Amino acid sequence: MLTKEEVMHVADLARIEITEEELQKYQKDLKILLDEVDKIKDIDDFDDEKMFSPTDNTFDLERKNISVTNENVLLNVPKKMGNFVEAPVMINE
Amino acid sequence: MSKYLDLSLKEIHELLKKGEITPTILVNECFEKIENSNLNAFINTYKDYALLEAKKLEEMNVPDDILFGIPIAIKDNIMVKDMKCTCASRMLDNFVSIYDAGCIDYIKDHHMIIVGKTNMDEFAMGSTSETSYYGAPHNPWNYNKTTGGSSGGSAAVVSIGIVPLALGSDTGGSVRQPSSFCGIVGMKPTYGRISRHGLVAYGSSLDQVGVMSRNVYENAILLNAISHLDKRDLTSFDTDIDFTREIDKPLENFKVAIPSFFISDIIDPEVKEKIMNIKKILEDNKIQVDIVDIKYIDKTAILYQIIAMGEASSNLARFDGIKYGYSYPNPASLDDLYKKTRRYGFGEEVKRRIMVGSYLLSGENAKIYYNKALEIRDDLKKNFLDAFKKYDLIIGPTAARCAYDLGMNQNDPLKGFMDDILVMHANMGGFPSLSMPIGLNRENLPIGLQIIGNLYKEDTIYQLASFIEKKVKFDSKKVRNGI
Repeated sequence: MLTKEEVMHVADLARIEITEEELQKYQKDLKILLDEVDKIKDIDDFDDEKMFSPTDNTFDLERKNISVTNENVLLNVPKKMGNFVEAPVMINE
Repeated sequence: MSKYLDLSLKEIHELLKKGEITPTILVNECFEKIENSNLNAFINTYKDYALLEAKKLEEMNVPDDILFGIPIAIKDNIMVKDMKCTCASRMLDNFVSIYDAGCIDYIKDHHMIIVGKTNMDEFAMGSTSETSYYGAPHNPWNYNKTTGGSSGGSAAVVSIGIVPLALGSDTGGSVRQPSSFCGIVGMKPTYGRISRHGLVAYGSSLDQVGVMSRNVYENAILLNAISHLDKRDLTSFDTDIDFTREIDKPLENFKVAIPSFFISDIIDPEVKEKIMNIKKILEDNKIQVDIVDIKYIDKTAILYQIIAMGEASSNLARFDGIKYGYSYPNPASLDDLYKKTRRYGFGEEVKRRIMVGSYLLSGENAKIYYNKALEIRDDLKKNFLDAFKKYDLIIGPTAARCAYDLGMNQNDPLKGFMDDILVMHANMGGFPSLSMPIGLNRENLPIGLQIIGNLYKEDTIYQLASFIEKKVKFDSKKVRNGI
């Protein structure tokens, strides 16, 4: 089972804030899921070839470029300033 | 209320050709059904848009295309320009698509009319559609039962007859399992058969758009329409096949396998009985059916969890509160914005999967879990390919049991994976797989048969499926006429 510190570290990696109350619940839930995936350690007779994609389609170098207008890009932006996406100030962090 | 949408696509097309009905009549019937339905199957509907499209079609000559003017529902993780695409998440509650997904280009080319976006598990993570920010849809066969998931809304609207066709997406069974629970036909084609451009990513090496319909023939017709090479999806491919070409052809020298795992003790006895009944029907028609063992078939859930959660944690990193979607107001810093946006924007199931995925991919864990899962995945696929050297198709149940009560397993983190224990193999290997209804259990809930084919062999699946459809004569209208 992951320690509370480890769960906090995982939440940090995932960039998800969790509260002290939630910590206990996630610790329990993650244990259930990780106990299950840990069973992979019991499997040992397999080839070392990896499969990254289920089909062997050739990589098409003539990939079609997708272009969208400025207006469309900004359509779903939560905060904008003129034609720019606004992000929080981070200079004094 | 008119009942034209209960007719077959061929019959509807004849009436449109003769001018006896119009696309507007079909759209009005569809919305009358939506307004009288309380299934919570749609997240957003678009009546004004649909009526406008119908009007435009009335100015055209009806072409020889049985999809012309047919209303269709789209799962809410597939982009349709100018319509919301929420993925059933608070994170995208106000997100409006700025382009059409690759498959939607073809839906529009065939002049089908999109009437709404359907309910689903949040970001397609779940097997009951209950993780939706908008609440769970209800199963038309029994209001208190789950539709299955994650494409639960799409399955429900086809089942109840609101639309004849719908699109879903299938990462580990999300088209086939709800199709089984709602008594319809659902196909997850070969990985790459339908463009994933514009499908919001969950597990990219597993995701595939799927087609949902009332019967086998109409399923193949819809797949014909939307499967194409799309240069915006490098895993897509082009093969010029008419998927209806083998339908009604005799099943000469056919060999079918049933993996022993698919009829083991994990399967509900009533479901197993129906599968064994199909085996008998096939054998009575001189089709060889063998029970076989496929190595690692019982380990797939472990691989699936590692790969799907790993890929999800990476794919969902894009939701940062800056570019689009929910954004936490007045954060103290950039890091605070990320963390609070994701805390309040995502639901429990999604956060759990992202956290586990982040853990599995971090540092040395990537070797221990993710890389090893990819190695065993390769072996699993080879074992299936070996089986396809001897057998045309593999069959078994779609789900181990029928639809169950809503809310039954909400607090079990493993539950969403275990419901898909019989369907995730097809995603692992990229194989096409279809679910079709083969009967009802004692509670009048549908039981689904799964047919898995070799890569690119959707036409062979449809051949067997249409044969079985004629033999079992499943009455899909029963749910609409009152069970």
